[in-house]
Amino acid sequence: MFLSHVWGLFAHPAQEWEDIRKERCSIGKCYCSHVLFLAAIPAISGFIGTTQIGWQIGTAEPVKLTVESALMISIATYVTMLVAVFSIGWMIYWMGKTYGTEQQLPQGIALAAFSATPMFLMGLMALYPIPWLNMIVGMPALAYSIYLLYTGLPIMMQVSKEQGFLFASAVMAVGLVVLVAVMAATVIMWGYGIGPVYTSDLGAFPHLFG
Amino acid sequence: MTATQDMYNYKVVRQFAIMTVIWGIVGMAVGVLIASQLAWPAMNFDIPYLTFSRLRPLHTNAVIFAFGGSALFATSYYAVQRTCHTRLFSDTLASFTFWGWQAVIISAAITLPLGYTGSKEYAELEWPIDILIAVVWVSYAVVFFGTIMKRKVKHIYVANWFFGGFILTVAVLHIVNSAAIPVTALKSYSAYAGVQDAMVQWWYGHNAVGFFLTAGFLGMMYYFVPKQAGRPVYSYRLSVIHFWALIFTYIWAGPHHLHYTALPDWTQSLGMAFSLVLLAPSWGGMINGIMTLSGAWEKLRTDPILRFLIVSISFYGMSTFEGPMMAIKTVNALSHYTDWTIGHVHSGALGWVAMISIGAMYYLIPRMFGRDIHSVKLIEWHFWLATVGIAFYIVAMWVSGVMQGLMWRAVNPDGTLTYSFIESVEAMHPFYIVRLVGGALFLTGMLIMAYNVYKTVKSGKAVNDAPVLAPAAAH
Repeated sequence: MFLSHVWGLFAHPAQEWEDIRKERCSIGKCYCSHVLFLAAIPAISGFIGTTQIGWQIGTAEPVKLTVESALMISIATYVTMLVAVFSIGWMIYWMGKTYGTEQQLPQGIALAAFSATPMFLMGLMALYPIPWLNMIVGMPALAYSIYLLYTGLPIMMQVSKEQGFLFASAVMAVGLVVLVAVMAATVIMWGYGIGPVYTSDLGAFPHLFG
Repeated sequence: MTATQDMYNYKVVRQFAIMTVIWGIVGMAVGVLIASQLAWPAMNFDIPYLTFSRLRPLHTNAVIFAFGGSALFATSYYAVQRTCHTRLFSDTLASFTFWGWQAVIISAAITLPLGYTGSKEYAELEWPIDILIAVVWVSYAVVFFGTIMKRKVKHIYVANWFFGGFILTVAVLHIVNSAAIPVTALKSYSAYAGVQDAMVQWWYGHNAVGFFLTAGFLGMMYYFVPKQAGRPVYSYRLSVIHFWALIFTYIWAGPHHLHYTALPDWTQSLGMAFSLVLLAPSWGGMINGIMTLSGAWEKLRTDPILRFLIVSISFYGMSTFEGPMMAIKTVNALSHYTDWTIGHVHSGALGWVAMISIGAMYYLIPRMFGRDIHSVKLIEWHFWLATVGIAFYIVAMWVSGVMQGLMWRAVNPDGTLTYSFIESVEAMHPFYIVRLVGGALFLTGMLIMAYNVYKTVKSGKAVNDAPVLAPAAAH
């Protein structure tokens, strides 16, 4: 039953959400059969991309990260994604009371986890860590995740479509806040020296002698 | 009650409402042009009047003071009359604020491209225009507080507290920050020197955000959100508490614009601490707005205006969380001077300020012309274009901002910089194109709004005889 809903979320999302709801799987099962695997895609791709392939800016030599540095960043990214899915899921459950639904915590976490599927899959692009390319490919993935959230929420939380629109907008705001919090936390870590370490095979003036 | 029924003054509200739409288009069009110049520098066509350095202040002045200002005048004049159950204090003075404010905007549109600038950010206009602003603003305060004084109900509704706080503080900020010694008719030098000048500038600059772009628009929220949702404010007590907390805290946050400068270090830390505290009153407002709206879900199907209001409050919550994060000195060390700041400003300016103003205008304009809006479908289109446009803009600036920050601080083992500045500029090019697309989408939404408003105005009839409502009996 690993990753059983991934295809359905693209082929027939409404029906797939209905199946996910009926399953009523536990938090542990949701993580073990879905989140742990999918979140590994961006983490592993990022590790390979930043250590083996690197990215090029201007005419300089490709920039790469050292293996130790990239490993630390990949593990931190992986853990962050697991925590972020749980936090957003918990917020969905907590806000549910305001929006008049009786759904329990696992339903909220499943909604957060399955909505994020397209973005996890798009993590494959980190094999080629070229920022602008990743952004262009990432935008449709992000848009599809948002679409999944808006269509999935009324089904998973058992509320009307209109209530669902408000509820999903509140979840979007929470998601943005979590994103900004992760950005700020990352930058603070960099500030204390726990950050990317570039491979040092660049000359003193890579753009002159490269 | 007097023998002849009192009427509301809708004329000045109508004038400002229409100008909100027009100045919104002008200001955002200039923004789109200069966004294209950042992607393709040749877009200034080698004409001095069209260079980025001259048009950037024109863009900021036009969107903040012309678009945002007109929206604030329109909504505050409307809300204060309706909630005080009385006509504006003085029609002549109200009319003077309209024509005076338009004169300020026109003067800005002429002098800034010609290169006349006091060089203070968000306060570039030269001293004669500054004096005109001060006179118009004091008149605005007289009209607003005069109306409050002749109110027919004992209570002063919370929206008026926010509008009043914004009007008073902006008067103080503008007059203190613009103090200057004139040299010629169009050139002056700041009355302050060195780091004091910088501190006064950012005390003004951040409170332009805190009072002009926040307190004023919270006043708008507290009037139009309950009106459109058809429900009372979720917690009136919370609204009063977060008003005072916001007023007290915002005024101290300015030094976070001067981290790692010649400003004394303790002042920077103080600014950072107050910026972090500011999260609490900001979210007090957001929670109050969201909770007021969340009961009105059954109206969503027929009411796209509600969507503008929901999205605006969501962006208010996001950007008031992002702001304190960026004020942390460690984060600021990376984010300052990068596009992250530009993205943050626009999630506030487009997401919060513009979205709530647009929602309020869609509420006001049909009422000012005595008919329903021409097309609800077009409001929907406007909503989606604006929302997608903001998403493009912010995502592009987040990625490019963090990249810039990382490139600027990357050093080689021997201590030399890894990247030259121009290499970082080159790396930004694709993101600047995405930002341009986002801005153009938002502007397209505004053009659709202008068409919708034009059709509404053309077949409607200006309402000049709306009778002042009698206050509800005490309850």
